[in-house]
Amino acid sequence: MTFAPEFDLSHLQAMVIFALVVSVAFGFLSRRSAYKRARYVLWSFLLFLVIGIGIGWLMYPFSR
Amino acid sequence: MTTPSITPQPATPSAASGSHPTNAKSEILALSVAVAGWLLPGFGHALLKMWGRAAACFFTVAILVMVGAGMRGNIFPRNGEDAFAKLGYIADMGAGTFYYLARSLERDGPDVSHANGDYGTRLLATAGVLNLLAALHAYEAMLGRKA
Repeated sequence: MTFAPEFDLSHLQAMVIFALVVSVAFGFLSRRSAYKRARYVLWSFLLFLVIGIGIGWLMYPFSR
Repeated sequence: MTTPSITPQPATPSAASGSHPTNAKSEILALSVAVAGWLLPGFGHALLKMWGRAAACFFTVAILVMVGAGMRGNIFPRNGEDAFAKLGYIADMGAGTFYYLARSLERDGPDVSHANGDYGTRLLATAGVLNLLAALHAYEAMLGRKA
């Protein structure tokens, strides 16, 4: 038997998972101390979300 | 036969040239660390005793692969028909052995007719590219160019 979970995520949920995971990876690879890593992860995560949602709103007028 | 110890080398100007036999040995060791890190995400950093980075690489790539496959993203096969499929294969193969894990997790195959599958495709490609970045970081760290 194989453990194969299925995910049915919304656009926002998929973006949040992507942003969180990539931010954690970037933070651990680019910073050494725990404090700097936490700051980098948080900052990167927030920027991913803000820029992603911002681009989404910019594209909204062209979606219809 | 003695086994060379795997410890990050200090950054020196001559280390980059690779002309000295010791540097050639370091280069081979660094390449081995990078290949190990590519095959099993985080293993390259584990060999360098960078446990936090090793765990972060392993779990981030694993999460991306599991969620991507769970969303029925497209896992590109080797014999891609166009340039995008070939590029997708390269990105997916960046995850090393997790590429095959993703294939085994997707029992019903990909479904990109919905946005869910499309996002899954991106997450799988991200896992591969992230792992390649981590392997490159391990290579650089082994040569003492990265802290």
